[in-house]
Amino acid sequence: MDFGVLIQMIVWGLYAGCIYILLAIGLNLIFGVMKVVNFAHGEVLMLGAYAAFWIYTFSRINPYLVIPVSMLLIAILGVFIERLGFRPIMGTGKLNEIFLSLGLIYVFQNLAALLWSADSRSIHSPYSNVVVHIGAIKLPLDYLIIIVVTIVFLIAFQLFMKKTTIGRAMRATSQNREAAALMGINVERMDMLSFALGSALAAAAGSLWLISGQMANPYMGAIPAVKAFAVVIVGGLGSIPGAIIAGLILGIGENVLPYLLQAFVAVFHVEMSFTAWKDTIAFFLLIIVLILRPTGIFGEKGE
Amino acid sequence: MKLDRLSIKAYLGIVSLILALLIPLIFGFSHYLLTVLILMLVFIMYASAWNLLALSGQGSLGHAAFFGIGGYTSAIIAGSLGISPFATILVGGLFAAFIGVLIGLTCVRLKEWFLAMVTFGFAIIAHTITTELSWLTGGWDGIPAEKLISVTIPNYILYEYYLVLLITVIVIAIIYLIMKSKIGLALEAIRENELEAKVMGINVTKYKLMAFAVSAFFAGVAGALEIHHFGYITPEVYGIDLSFLPIIYCISGGLFTIEGPILGTILITLLDEGLKNFGFTYERFVIIGLILVLIVIFLPKGFVSIPEKIKSMLKSHS
Amino acid sequence: MKYGILFTVLVVSVLLAGCVEQPKETPSGVEEIKIGVVAPLTGGASTTGLDMWQAAVLAADEINAQGGINIDGTSLEVKLFQGDTETSREGGVKAVTKLITENEVDILVGGFSSGITYADQVVAAEHGVPFIVTGASSPVITKRTDIDTSYFFHHCPTTDDYGEDTLLFVDEIVRPAINERFGFPVDRKLRLAVLYQDSKYGEGVYDGIQKAIAEQNLSVEVVAAEKFKMSETDFRTVLTAIKAAKPDVLYPAAFVNEQALIVAQGRRDVGLNTIYLAVECNDDPDYYSGVERWGEYSILESRFSPYAIPAGAIHDSVAQYRQDFENKWGTSPSMMGASTYEGVYIAVDAIKNAGSLDKGAVREALVNLEMPQQIEAMEGGVISFSPDYRESKFKLYMEQLIWDDSIGETRPKIVWPDSVKETDFVLPDWYEPGST
Repeated sequence: MDFGVLIQMIVWGLYAGCIYILLAIGLNLIFGVMKVVNFAHGEVLMLGAYAAFWIYTFSRINPYLVIPVSMLLIAILGVFIERLGFRPIMGTGKLNEIFLSLGLIYVFQNLAALLWSADSRSIHSPYSNVVVHIGAIKLPLDYLIIIVVTIVFLIAFQLFMKKTTIGRAMRATSQNREAAALMGINVERMDMLSFALGSALAAAAGSLWLISGQMANPYMGAIPAVKAFAVVIVGGLGSIPGAIIAGLILGIGENVLPYLLQAFVAVFHVEMSFTAWKDTIAFFLLIIVLILRPTGIFGEKGE
Repeated sequence: MKLDRLSIKAYLGIVSLILALLIPLIFGFSHYLLTVLILMLVFIMYASAWNLLALSGQGSLGHAAFFGIGGYTSAIIAGSLGISPFATILVGGLFAAFIGVLIGLTCVRLKEWFLAMVTFGFAIIAHTITTELSWLTGGWDGIPAEKLISVTIPNYILYEYYLVLLITVIVIAIIYLIMKSKIGLALEAIRENELEAKVMGINVTKYKLMAFAVSAFFAGVAGALEIHHFGYITPEVYGIDLSFLPIIYCISGGLFTIEGPILGTILITLLDEGLKNFGFTYERFVIIGLILVLIVIFLPKGFVSIPEKIKSMLKSHS
Repeated sequence: MKYGILFTVLVVSVLLAGCVEQPKETPSGVEEIKIGVVAPLTGGASTTGLDMWQAAVLAADEINAQGGINIDGTSLEVKLFQGDTETSREGGVKAVTKLITENEVDILVGGFSSGITYADQVVAAEHGVPFIVTGASSPVITKRTDIDTSYFFHHCPTTDDYGEDTLLFVDEIVRPAINERFGFPVDRKLRLAVLYQDSKYGEGVYDGIQKAIAEQNLSVEVVAAEKFKMSETDFRTVLTAIKAAKPDVLYPAAFVNEQALIVAQGRRDVGLNTIYLAVECNDDPDYYSGVERWGEYSILESRFSPYAIPAGAIHDSVAQYRQDFENKWGTSPSMMGASTYEGVYIAVDAIKNAGSLDKGAVREALVNLEMPQQIEAMEGGVISFSPDYRESKFKLYMEQLIWDDSIGETRPKIVWPDSVKETDFVLPDWYEPGST
């Protein structure tokens, strides 16, 4: 395969990876603090994308400025999900979290379809015809912004967790809930905060996705979210660096691997297309990693 | 007290069975009603199979994989070798069980939501493999599946109903016996506390795999029955909805009980059909989703625990 | 024990409620024609399903407003019954069973998504109810051998039809235009890339393309053929691979959501500045709004467009239909609705010809149907079903999308064939051909 083509494909993988990373970091945060998993995280992404769409449609401001508003709205939604849904069932068993999320998926997806129909919605980015040349690679400006915004979010997130009192309190809560409570940390507030932050990151992912030319519909969140779960597991529960690396591996892997495989079997004079297998790559990766290392690559403890 | 409860259960079981037998007589011969009931019975089996796996603490999010594998195996064998569906349904179940054990081998070491992800992913992989093997499976187009009972027989749907009812009763009875046996107790012990179960000398891996095999087997049988009832199979059988439905039925009815999946399937199906008559479209699923959320929070033991709740409420009042 | 009884009563009453809610339609003599409309009103394809239902209602209202039809002195009105397939097999089978056995419909119209229609068909075949399929594009619908398909009539183009007309257009118009602009030799073969959905629809289109090239002896070679998974949303990588194969035109076999993303991502992200072709089902308002400016100069195959009206015979009736539909429903009609609208007329016409509601007689009338074309151009100007597989033959046309600043979207102009065209095909300035 042409080397330039390969590089270009890796760039597309990088972009896909950014979305997975934003989702995975949010999941990891919620899991770290509360030890619960919101399987409806993809629907939160979907609602974030819709929020961005409607704010943009009514205000017509620069779509990138819409993102913080969408994040704020969805953060509030996250607090509601935590208070009304996950708080009451805490400690009643892991299966209940899965079941609750399932109910939320049904509610959110169909509510969105009911309110806004199943039509696809899109946002026009003002920079959609600006292309940046980096060496041989031609990268539309929107993708550069997405990659930069993701990096900024990651740095801001790390600084928040490491340098601020609240961030430290959240980390303390994830390490030892009882001890944190004894030290005077309001762990319930940390729960709410983690849900708010995690949901806001999902909303950011959804909004960025929409601006980059994706279309919003009520079912858009399901597949990226399950891939983000795979990323979290592969990277290791609670591990932020793990999520970043696994997110990039998945993003690039699912974009490039089908072509590498195609080129590989071509050596044996077999003509076969692997592009239809794209969505399964995340799960093959997941199964292989879990067989080799049931706690994920960077995970310390299995939950 | 305990005896009293048991007799109520038995009494309810017999009443509902009689009711099931009489339905075609009470409501007259209605092709539509029988179609709805046959699907309901298929899903009772399917939900009960899922419930058995959940009993061991393993909550699968991708049971449609086994439902579909059972269906495809049976349809392909019946179609290519001309064997009667009655035999191929069992083969479909067995093949699903075999695949179930393979997936189980990956899953036994995993905890709740790792397992949920692997099973979910497996359903997607099964879907892709099926569409890619189009020379065998017909790809997205699917393949015809021989009808359980030939449509040329007058009132065949009535026979089909009683046949599926009979199979459902047998399947439920087997699952009931398993749940009440040593195996069932071992599975419950594993769910409650895997470490303790191990200390007690229970071979955790063996029992978990057994649960996977049996659950996949009955899911496969249910899938095969459904597609032989439809007369056609397409990759839609692997749909995410089909993985989620048994979970909804089990939770709303009552997890880990024999009557829970039965009651849940009946009530939710009736609710769905009833709401459909009011012209509800998406509202139906919003309502069902809300019910699910409310049940998980306020009624974790499902509908079957309502009488007990009422009882304790009455007691606390008096 | 008391609670046990209470509980039984509860269950029984719920059971009763669930079952009694569907009172059998009392057979109301022969005053109405009952038509079952099979369409997905919930689930993934609900937008299309709603359009089909609305179009059918419009047709029924029109027929009834003219007093229905008259058989042996009795005047009959059309009554529609809704069959929501829920975009699922279970839903489809339940809906069709209910239409046939509870509502006792005389004929079925609709059927979208081949996978679901296959399962529905078994029920219809079993009861011998005529079914005019107006949505599912698989040619297998009327060709399967496991059931008696003699009651199925296909009134929408199949995947076999799509490729042929598009390829003829490409060979006749696009290829010479490219050769002329870039000074290529006249006998240079056009480099075609195909990007198809991993479904029977996608594979069917790809097959049709290869068949058309071989049978019509076209000067076209396929330089890349890539597959993608249904409802994929990220095509950048596969488009990068296609670009590396240096095609002159790209022919995606995709659904609306995918097609809009393929064109937008191809033009904007990958810089694949080529002519994009599209299968007819993409001529939908969603496509125009989704593809934005990137759809400019791309080609759509069509039989009913939300924005273009073919010149010639059917011009007025299309304009009238669109007006009526918008007045009634407040939205613009789309393609699946158009054939479903005609499907209702076909059903009523067949019953009129049969002079009875007897299903065998209606089937016979459908076989012999010869009805003037309505809002979609038919081969020979007549709706009739082929004797072998009972398929009607549409006359498809090609549109090119032109940017309209006042709307902020592209709008189609019909460029082929000559009999209906509005304007000439344009090779855009930014167009880049494949290798020389």
